[in-house]
Amino acid sequence: MNLNSQAQTPKFLDIVRRSIGDDWVHTADATVSRYGETTLPGSDNPPPAVVYPGSVDEVVAIVNAANETGTQLFPISNGNNISQGSRAPVGANQIVVDLGRRMNRILDFNEDMGIATVEPGVSYQQMHDELVRRGDRFMVDVTSGPPAGSVLGNALDKGAGYTPYADHFAMTCGMEIVLGNGQRLRTGDGALETARNWHMSKYSYGPYLDGLFVQSNYGIVTQAGFWLMPKPPAIRSFAFTFDNDDDLGDIVAAIRPLRMSGFVPTMMRLCNDLWLLASETSHPSYVSGRSITDDERKDLQRAHNLGSWTVSGAFYGASDAQIAPMVERVRSHFASLGRGRYISHEEAMESPTLASAVAAYAGVPSVHEMKQLAWRPGGGMASFTPGVPMDRDLVLQSSRKSREILRSHGLEYLKMYVCGPRFARGLHHLLWNRTVEAEDRAADQAYKALAAAYTDLGLQVGRSPIRYQDFHMSLLGDATRKTCEAIKDVLDPRGIIAPGRYGIGRAATA
Amino acid sequence: MNSTVTMPKGDLAEANAIIKTCVHYGFCTNTCPTYVLLGDENESPRGRIDLIKDMLASNAAPSKDTVKHLDNCLSCLSCMTTCAAKVDYGHLIDRARIHIEQTYRRPLADRLIRTALALILPNPRALHTALRIGALARPFRQLFRGRLRAMLELLPAGERNPPAPRRRQVFAADGERKSRVVLHLGCVQQVAAQHINEAAIRLLTRHGIEVVALGNSSCCGALTLHMGKERQAKAAAIRFVQDVMAEKEAIDAVVITASGCGTTVKDYGHLLAADADMSAAAMAIARKTRDVSELLNDLQLHPPKENMAYKVAYHDACSMLHGQRVVVQPRAVLKRAGFSVHDIAERHFCCGSAGVYNMLQPEIATRLGQRKAANIAGSGADILCAGNLGCLTQIGHYSDLPAVHTVELLDWATGGPMPPALRAYPLAPETKTEAPQNDTAPLSAATQSFW
Repeated sequence: MNLNSQAQTPKFLDIVRRSIGDDWVHTADATVSRYGETTLPGSDNPPPAVVYPGSVDEVVAIVNAANETGTQLFPISNGNNISQGSRAPVGANQIVVDLGRRMNRILDFNEDMGIATVEPGVSYQQMHDELVRRGDRFMVDVTSGPPAGSVLGNALDKGAGYTPYADHFAMTCGMEIVLGNGQRLRTGDGALETARNWHMSKYSYGPYLDGLFVQSNYGIVTQAGFWLMPKPPAIRSFAFTFDNDDDLGDIVAAIRPLRMSGFVPTMMRLCNDLWLLASETSHPSYVSGRSITDDERKDLQRAHNLGSWTVSGAFYGASDAQIAPMVERVRSHFASLGRGRYISHEEAMESPTLASAVAAYAGVPSVHEMKQLAWRPGGGMASFTPGVPMDRDLVLQSSRKSREILRSHGLEYLKMYVCGPRFARGLHHLLWNRTVEAEDRAADQAYKALAAAYTDLGLQVGRSPIRYQDFHMSLLGDATRKTCEAIKDVLDPRGIIAPGRYGIGRAATA
Repeated sequence: MNSTVTMPKGDLAEANAIIKTCVHYGFCTNTCPTYVLLGDENESPRGRIDLIKDMLASNAAPSKDTVKHLDNCLSCLSCMTTCAAKVDYGHLIDRARIHIEQTYRRPLADRLIRTALALILPNPRALHTALRIGALARPFRQLFRGRLRAMLELLPAGERNPPAPRRRQVFAADGERKSRVVLHLGCVQQVAAQHINEAAIRLLTRHGIEVVALGNSSCCGALTLHMGKERQAKAAAIRFVQDVMAEKEAIDAVVITASGCGTTVKDYGHLLAADADMSAAAMAIARKTRDVSELLNDLQLHPPKENMAYKVAYHDACSMLHGQRVVVQPRAVLKRAGFSVHDIAERHFCCGSAGVYNMLQPEIATRLGQRKAANIAGSGADILCAGNLGCLTQIGHYSDLPAVHTVELLDWATGGPMPPALRAYPLAPETKTEAPQNDTAPLSAATQSFW
C-alpha cells in the first residue's frame, strides 16, 4: 500500500468517525487552514483533517486506524509551539491529532507530594488556575511563551522555565504512551500493576524509557506526572542593567559562581536590549531589508532606561526581610564589576518587561514576551536556540557572531540567555515580515547561517523549528541517526507517527 | 434600513488597517470565552476577524450565520490582552456591529428587544418604570423562555430605588478640599444600585474630595455602542462631554464607578474623532477619566478602625482587566484598607455579563456565569468584590457569596456603613498573624513548606 497518499484519507476518517464520533473529525477549510499556519519561513501546510480524541482508548483507536490504512498522523498538544512550528504538520497529508481540545484534564493532584498528573491539553494557565483554586500552595514552572502552551508538550520538546523546577522534562515522572504500533506503555513503576511510585520514582528497576519520548516520534504521550514546587511566602527579584554590548562576557562570569554555589536558586535571565524592548514598542524605522542601527538602538535604551544587557534572578523565603540580605550580597557581587545599574524589585514591578520576568519566577504565566511578535509587521518568528557553556569568551564570541549574521540579513538581534551553573540556553528570536517574500527568504537564510556558524563553534541547538529538524538531525553522528531510525522501526514499524518530525523517519514532501 | 451602505472612508480604512495586523497566531483563541466553550473557529476573534473582513469587503448585509457569530462575541477584549500582534479588535468589533445595525434586518422579536433595551436602559426614568413592571412579572418568570426569562431572572431583588434627581448636585469635601471631581452616576447604576454611588460619594468626600454629580448626562453611550447603535452612542457621548465641559470651576478628574462606562469614556477621543467640534474636548475628558480605584489608590485613605481582614475574592471586570488594564490598583487599595484579597482562578475569563450580553445571549452567559461562580467558590473567600455593577448582578445570580462594589468595602473600612449586601451574612475577619521573620519559624501547617 502506498503509505500516506491522499487516497487513504477517506477510509481512515470513516474508521475514526465510527470510533470517536462525527463531531470530533473536522475537515472544513476554515479549520484545517488554521492548522497549517506557522510563523516560519515558507508556505503553510494545512492537513487534510483534524481529529480530536477524548481518551487514551480513542488515541489507540486512531493509531490502529492509521496502521490499518497507512495514514500518517501528526499529534499536537495545544499547538502553541509558536516560533517552532505551531501546529502545522511536518509532512504532506498528515492528519493532525489534536490532543488539547478534549484531553485537557488534570487527572490527579497529590497535595502531599506536589504532583499533578496531566493530559497533553493542560496548559500553563489552566495549571496555574487550578493551583490558585486549590489554595495557592504550589506553583508551576512557566515559560515565557503563551500561557495556553501545554505543560506536557513543552516538557516533551525540552522546554524550560526559570524557577528551581526549570527543567521541565526533569520534573516529569512516569508517562503513559500509545506507541506507533498501537501498544499502550506506562514507563517506570507504571509498568507495575499495583504501582505506588509511578510519579515519585524516576529510576526504579529496568531501563529508563521516558527519554525515548522526548523530541521523538515513537508514540503519542497521553499523560505524565509533574512535580510542582511549594509556593514560597515571599519572592524578591533583583536585576542589573549594563550599558555596553561587550559587557556580556563579564556578566556571564559573574553569574556562574552564583549559580554553581546554588546561592541564587532561580535560573538567571540575561536579556539584551531588544529582547526586552521589542515587547514594549515596535521597530522605530522599519524598512524591509534593513536592520535597526546602533544609534536607534541606543535611543530606545535611553527611552526605556535599560542598557545593552539586563540580568535578573530571584530569591525565595519566609519574608521580604529574610531575603533582603541575600539581595544585598548579590548587589555587592555585581558592584565589583565596577559598572551596571541595580534595579530593585519595586522598580522591576513598575516596568512591564521586567515585571513579566518576576511573574515567571513566581510561576505566573504571562503573554508579555510574546508581544515581541509585533516588533515588525507580518508575523514571522523563528527561534534559534543554541546552548552555550557559561564561558566568558565563548559567550561573547558567539554573541558577536549572531549580531553580525542577523544584521547582514537585515534583521535584529534579540537574545536571551537563561543561565544555569555551567550552561546557558541561548534563545534568539528572529522576527520578520512574512508577507514580504525577500524578507521571508532572508529569515530562512539567516537561520541557516546561524546554524552553520554555531556548528563551527561546536554548539548545538536545544530545540528546532519543524522546518529545520531534518537539518539539525543531519549534523549528528551516523550512529545516533541510525539508532534513532532503528528505534522508530521497532516502535512504529509502519511509520505512522509524524515521520520527519525531529528528523526521524521520512515525511512525504509537502 | 439599507441593504447596502457605504462606510465612511475613514472608518473603512481603520477597519482595514486593523484587519491587516492579524497574522493568525491564534493566541486569542485560547482566551476567548466563546471559542473555549464552543470550539468553533468562527467563534474566535481570529475567525470573527475573517468574517468581518468578508462582510466589509462585500459592503452588503451580512449572512445570518455571520451575524450569529459576531453577536456571540462578548466584547470582553480578553483577546486584546493576549494578542501578540496587538490587533485592535475592540474597535473592529464595534465597527462590525455598526455595519450589522445599518445593513442587516434582524427578525422582528430581535429588533424589538434591542430597540427596547437601547431606549430604556440609558434612560433612568424609563428604566425605573420598566423595573417596576418587571418586579410584578418576576414571580411568573417560569412561564417565560429565552431572553425575557433571562431579563426577569437578572432583575435586582428588593424595592426599587427612585431614580436619582436629574439635576446637577455638588457634595462638599469634608474638611479641606484637596481636589474636585465629576462622578459619573451611570444610567443603570443610579436606578438599580444607587447605594454604590452613595458609598462612592461618602468615601470621596470623607477624603477631602468635592464631588460633582452631573444632571442629565446619565448615559455614557457604552450600552448603545455595543449594540451597534452608533448615532445614539455618539449623542450620549456628546451630552456627557458638554456637561463636563460646562463645569465653570476646574475639575481634576472624571471618576467612574462602573468600569464598563470607564472603558468607553476613556475612549471618547476615538469615538468622537471625526466630530470637529467635539474631538478636542472628548480627548481632554478621556484623559481626565479614571476608574475610582485608580483615584483611591493615589490617596492616603483613613486607616481602618477595626480589623477588616475579611476574605474578599476580587473579580476583575473585563472592562477593568482588558479594557483599561486597571488590575493592581483595586487590589492594592483593598489590601491597604485591611481586607484579605484573594484572586479568582481564570480571572481573565468573562463572567458573561458584558453589558446587555446576558440579556441577549442568555445561554452562553449562563454557562460563563456558572463557571465564574464555581471559580469564586474555590477561592475560599466570604465576600465577592468587583468594580462593575454588571458583573456583580451577573455573578450574584450564580454565586452564593454576597457581591459588593469596591467602593462599598472601602467606604465601610473608613467609617461608612456596612454594605447592604453583607448585612444578612455571618462574616468574621481573619485573625491577623505575623509572617515568620526567619528560617527558624515553625513549619506552617497550611503550606507544609519549609521557608
